[in-house]
Amino acid sequence: MKKAGYAYPSLFARIGGEWKLYLLAFIFILIADSIGQIKIPVWKGTFIIFPIFYALFLGILTGPNTLKILDHQKVKAASGLVGVAILPFVAKLGINAGANLSVVISAGPALLLQEFGNLGTILLAMPVALLLGLKREAVGATHSINRETNLALMQDMFGADSPEAQGSLSVYIVGGMVGTIYFGFMASMAAATGVFHPYALGMASGVGAGILMSSAVAALSEVLPAYADEIAALASASETISGIDGIYMAIFIGIPLCNWLYRKLEPTLGRITKAGRRGVQQAERK
Amino acid sequence: MRIKEWIFVLAIAGLGMMTANFIGFDVAFLDSLPGVLVLLGIALCAAGLSAVIPLKLPTVAYCSILGLLCACPISPISGFVIEAAGKINFTAPLTMVGAFAGMSISNQLKSFLKQGWKLIVITILVMTGTFFGSLCIAQVVLQLTSAI
Repeated sequence: MKKAGYAYPSLFARIGGEWKLYLLAFIFILIADSIGQIKIPVWKGTFIIFPIFYALFLGILTGPNTLKILDHQKVKAASGLVGVAILPFVAKLGINAGANLSVVISAGPALLLQEFGNLGTILLAMPVALLLGLKREAVGATHSINRETNLALMQDMFGADSPEAQGSLSVYIVGGMVGTIYFGFMASMAAATGVFHPYALGMASGVGAGILMSSAVAALSEVLPAYADEIAALASASETISGIDGIYMAIFIGIPLCNWLYRKLEPTLGRITKAGRRGVQQAERK
Repeated sequence: MRIKEWIFVLAIAGLGMMTANFIGFDVAFLDSLPGVLVLLGIALCAAGLSAVIPLKLPTVAYCSILGLLCACPISPISGFVIEAAGKINFTAPLTMVGAFAGMSISNQLKSFLKQGWKLIVITILVMTGTFFGSLCIAQVVLQLTSAI
């Protein structure tokens, strides 16, 4: 099947190409896990900074835009390594789900139905995007959480140069930079309201983006330690389902819903603000 | 990736996990070892399955389903698997993921800074909407089905 297209001619070529990445990762682990967690009380909740954030930040600093330790080729190799390094964590969550299978099964209907809640991004973000003056970019930007598969989907459906794909790319980039920290923070704030059951918080964390889910689950298990196992189990189940249904959700519901909402809202919301009207003029000039 | 490469890179990830588990949580390398081997074994099988099975499922899906099967009540090895994996602290495997993830987006820093505040606002709303949409439905359905 996938015979063509090995990234390296041999294992030794891989080691030769990637040893710097491994070494940096170990240095970052030493630094990040020595610092450990930092907890900052915010309102009724806690903003928890995990070692993964320091490691992420240090990693960003090594790149071609800053310290230039890594060139573009190594950056690409690192993105392949993310996919491998996250697997043991995913396995751990799967084990959690298996160990708490009765909880997962009793939550079955909720687990399946909450998948549609991932479309909440459209209802919340699309109107604001239009007010801020985005045009067709808004469809790409708000149709989903915009991780790798969604980005590829938008490029495939609308073309890589299309405004839709540009919008998707923008949210992908910003999400990569700020998402991990924000997602954990948001989850712990949602827990602090006291309105939501830990099971609901757990399954909402699975949005089809491994690193975001990890951040939310790590934060939730700190603030709700009594439910840590069930939260991880439900997050894992929901993440697995999202990983499978995410692309179909986008193709069959997300993008059509975005298009419909865009047609309904753009002529009004998209022209109330100055930025919105400027967008219309620019579009007409093209 | 060839199977040799999978084993090698997973071994690196395992070492990273043990290092983080030791530095962050004072768990000795030998105590982490069984858990790490379980997690790496599952990950390797998942990679194998996703190469062999002609379904277009992400590798992580196989991985979490395999983990679930190994630990569910009918699995003969569930006790061992759960206990071994329990020694690995939740965030220990994540530091290395963060390091690689940071490196992998390090070439986007410039374009990130060019995005401006509007896209930051929109991204925050995208994440908030995705999370709270699921959260509200989950809460209501859990209550309706009296699961909580």
